[in-house]
Amino acid sequence: MRSQLSKMLMLSLSFVMIIAVLTACSGGNSSGDSSADGADTGGSTSANASDEPAAGSQDVEELTLFINHSWYPVKEWKGAVADKITEKTGVKLKVTVATDDKQLPLMIASGDLPDLIFTASDIDRLSNSNISYSWNELIEKYAPDFKIDPTRTAINTMDDGNFYTIRNAFATQQEWETNQYALGNDGNPGIALREDIMKELGNPELKTLDDFVKLLGMVKEKHPDLVPLVMDKNWIESYFMTQYGIEAGFGSWYEKDGKVEYYLKHPKMLDFFKFMNGLYRNGYILAENFAHANDQIDDEYAVGGKAFAHSHTVSVAERDNISAKQTGAAYTFKMMPSALSEEAVRVSTGVGWSGTFITKNNKNPEKSIKLLQFLASEEGKQLTMFGVEGEHWTWNEEGYPNLKYNTADSDFVNSNGIKWWFLYSDAIVEGLWGYVPGTQTTQALLETKAITTYKPEIGMIQVKADSAEKTIKTKLDEMVTNEKVKIYLAKSEEEAVQNYETMMKNAEKIGLEKLDEWANKTYQEKQALFK
Amino acid sequence: MNLNTEASLQLKANRQHQLWKRFKKQTVLHLFVGLGMLFLLIFAYTPMFGIVMAFKDYTIVTGIKGIFTSDWVGLQYFNEFVDDYRFGEIVRNTLVLSFLKVIFAFPAPILFAILLNEVRHLAFKRFVQTVSYLPHFISWVVVVGIAFSFLSADIGILNKLMVKIGLIDKPLDFLTSANYFWGLAVGSAVWKEMGWWTIIFLAAIAGINPALYEAAQIDGAGRLSRIWHVTLPGIKGTIVVVLILTIGSILGGGLVGSNFEQAYLLGNDVNNSTSEIVQTYAFKVGLADGRFSYAAAIDLIQSVISVLLIFSSNYIAKRASGSSLF
Repeated sequence: MRSQLSKMLMLSLSFVMIIAVLTACSGGNSSGDSSADGADTGGSTSANASDEPAAGSQDVEELTLFINHSWYPVKEWKGAVADKITEKTGVKLKVTVATDDKQLPLMIASGDLPDLIFTASDIDRLSNSNISYSWNELIEKYAPDFKIDPTRTAINTMDDGNFYTIRNAFATQQEWETNQYALGNDGNPGIALREDIMKELGNPELKTLDDFVKLLGMVKEKHPDLVPLVMDKNWIESYFMTQYGIEAGFGSWYEKDGKVEYYLKHPKMLDFFKFMNGLYRNGYILAENFAHANDQIDDEYAVGGKAFAHSHTVSVAERDNISAKQTGAAYTFKMMPSALSEEAVRVSTGVGWSGTFITKNNKNPEKSIKLLQFLASEEGKQLTMFGVEGEHWTWNEEGYPNLKYNTADSDFVNSNGIKWWFLYSDAIVEGLWGYVPGTQTTQALLETKAITTYKPEIGMIQVKADSAEKTIKTKLDEMVTNEKVKIYLAKSEEEAVQNYETMMKNAEKIGLEKLDEWANKTYQEKQALFK
Repeated sequence: MNLNTEASLQLKANRQHQLWKRFKKQTVLHLFVGLGMLFLLIFAYTPMFGIVMAFKDYTIVTGIKGIFTSDWVGLQYFNEFVDDYRFGEIVRNTLVLSFLKVIFAFPAPILFAILLNEVRHLAFKRFVQTVSYLPHFISWVVVVGIAFSFLSADIGILNKLMVKIGLIDKPLDFLTSANYFWGLAVGSAVWKEMGWWTIIFLAAIAGINPALYEAAQIDGAGRLSRIWHVTLPGIKGTIVVVLILTIGSILGGGLVGSNFEQAYLLGNDVNNSTSEIVQTYAFKVGLADGRFSYAAAIDLIQSVISVLLIFSSNYIAKRASGSSLF
C-alpha cells in the first residue's frame, strides 16, 4: 500500500518535472510571441497618437533602450531631465546598461533586440536594413521637418546610401571656429597634482616633461610612502603621447604628407615608450597600475592620499577635489599645464562618439524618430546637456549657459539625468556645458584647444565588421595591449628597446602593411566628403 | 516444421510479454532515465549543431538562420588560429596550467582524506572537514577579491607581514608578474576545491570493510602499512574513475576546474604572457568581436584534444588497473 503511494508520488513528481522542462524550453518562443503582440499594440497606440496633434502626455509609450557602455553612470529613466523629455515627446525609456562588450554581439546574433540601441561600437553591424530602420526612411515618412546638416549625414552614411544613426559629440571645423566658448569635452587628458606637496616643494617650475620627471623624483625622495604618479587605466598614454607630438592615440591613424599611417609607425613612438619605461624604472609608477581591474582604483589612490599625481582627463582635479572634500581630506588638487612642450599636439579625428539605432523590433518607429528629432532641436539639446532652463541654468549674455551646479559634481548631474540622455547631441552644446569661466577644467580645455587641430577625415577610416582589415586591426590592438606592458615594465632601456622591436615585428607579421594600404585607400575616398 | 514455428512464435510472444512486464515494473526508473536523456538532448546535444559555424563564414548580423545559410570555408579559421603569432604561447599556457593542476590538485584531496580518516577525535575531524570544503561555495570573483587584499604588492596583508618580519626586502608582485601566475592559479584552486573532493574519497574510505583493518592489525601492520595495504587499494576504483574524469576535463582545469575563471579574473596585461589560455583567447578575440566562427573553431580544437585525452586515459586505466569508465 505504502509503496504504491510513493510510486504514485514519484510518477506525478517526474511528470511535473517533465512539464517544467518542456515549458521552460518553449518559454523563449512565448516571449517572442508576446513581443509580437507588443508590436501590434504599439501600432495601435501610434495610430491614436497621430490622431492627436500634440504628444499627449496621457498615452506615454515605453520604449526599451540598450546602452552599450557598461560604465554608464545613469541606469534608470528618472530625474528632472528625463521627466521633461517624456513630457515633450510622450516617450519613456526602459533602460538596460550592458554588462560587458560581449552582450551586444550576442543580442545581434540571437535577434533579441530592444527598441533602441545607444552604442559607439558595432555601428556598421547595426547599420543594416535587416536590423535597423534607416533614419532617412523614417524621417521621410514620419518627420519630414527633421533637418540634419549635410556633413553629419555624409559621415554617417553607409555604403548602401542610408544613414542609420547620427553619432553625438561631433562638430564641424566651422562650428568649432564660430563657437568660441565650446572648448571640447572631457575626452581630453590631464594630470592633477597635490597642491600641498607642490607648495612644500616650493612650487617648482613645470615647463617641460623633464621638469615633471624631476618633480616626481623630488616627491619620491621626500615622501617615499606616496606613489608619485597613479594613472587611470584608460588614460595611461594619452597625456604623454600628446607631449611627444604623436598626432594619434592608440588604435588610430595619423597623417603625414597626404598619407596615413597606423600610430605604431610614428617616429616618436620609441621615445615615448622609453619615457614610460623610465617612469617605471625610477619607481614613479607602479607595475600594479597596469593590472587595475576597474577605473576606480586610481581614484582611491588619489583621493585617499596615497598618490601625488593623478592622470586622467581634464576634469580630474575638480573631481578629485569634490571627492576629497566629501571624505574630509585636508588637501586639494591642481591641474598641471595641458602642454608641457613645444611639440605638444592633439589631433581631433572625431566623427562623433555614440549613436542611437532604431531597431526593426521597435514598437513605435514614429515616436522613436520624433524623440530623436526633439533631442536634436536646440531646445532638446540644451535640455539634455544643461538641464531644465531656469531651474538648472540661464543664458549668459556672452552666449554660454550660467549653470547653477558644478558639472564635476557627478552625484547631482547623474541623479538629475543631465548630459547622459544625449542620444542625439553635438560637441558644441557639450562644449558649452563644460565652459565655466575660472574653473580648472575650463582652463585645461582652453590650453588643449590651443594645441588641437581637427581632422575628422582621419576618423572616417573605420574598419568594417567581419572584414579582413577588422581582423588585422583587432589582432594588432590585442597584441599591442599585451606587448606594450612588457616595454613599460622592462628592467633596462635596452630591454625596452628590444621588446619594442619584437612588438613591431609581430605587427608586421599580423599585417600592419596591409592595414595601412587599406587605410590609405579609404582615406583618399573619404576626403572627398569634406570638400 | 509447423509445430516448430508455432513454438518459436509462442516463445517470442512470451519473451516480449516478459520484457513488457519487466519494463512496467521499472516505469519509475525509466522515467528518471528518460528525463536525464531529455535534458542531455536539449542542453548538450542540440546546441552542438552550432559547431558547423566553425567551418562557415558566419556573420552575426544574419542571425540564427545564418548558421545554416552562410558559405562553407573549410578549415580557414583553424588555420588562422594555428598561424597566429601567439598560438604557441597560448597552447603552452593552457597545457602547463592544466597539467600542473592535475599533478598538484589531484593527489591533494586523496592525501587529505586519508589524513582526516586517521584523525580519531571526531569533533575535530568534522570541524576540519567543514572548514576545508567551505571555500568551494565562494565564487571565483570573490576569491580573486580576497587574493587581491592578501597578495597585492601595495596593500596586501601577506606582503606587508613578510616585509615587517624581514623575510623579504621588497613586496613580491604575486598578482602582477608572469612568473607567479601558474603558482597562484594552482594554489588558489587547490585551496578552494580540495576539501570538496575530499568528501568523495572519505565516502569511499568509509565503504572499506573494518574487518580488513582488524586483520591487518593482527598481522602486525602499523598505521602506514595499513594505509598502504588496505586504505589505498580499497579506494583504488574511486581514484581511477576520478582520474579519468579529471583527464577528460583537463583543459578546463581538471577536477578543480576553473581555468577560464582564473585566467580571466587573475589575468591582466602584465601577466598576460603566462595567463592567456585558449579559452580566454577565444572569448576575447572571438566573442567580444562578434567573430563566432573563429571562436567556435578555436574551442573545437580544444574539445577534440579533450576527447582524445579521455579515450586514451580510459584505455590506459583499463590496461593498468582493470577498472575504467567505459
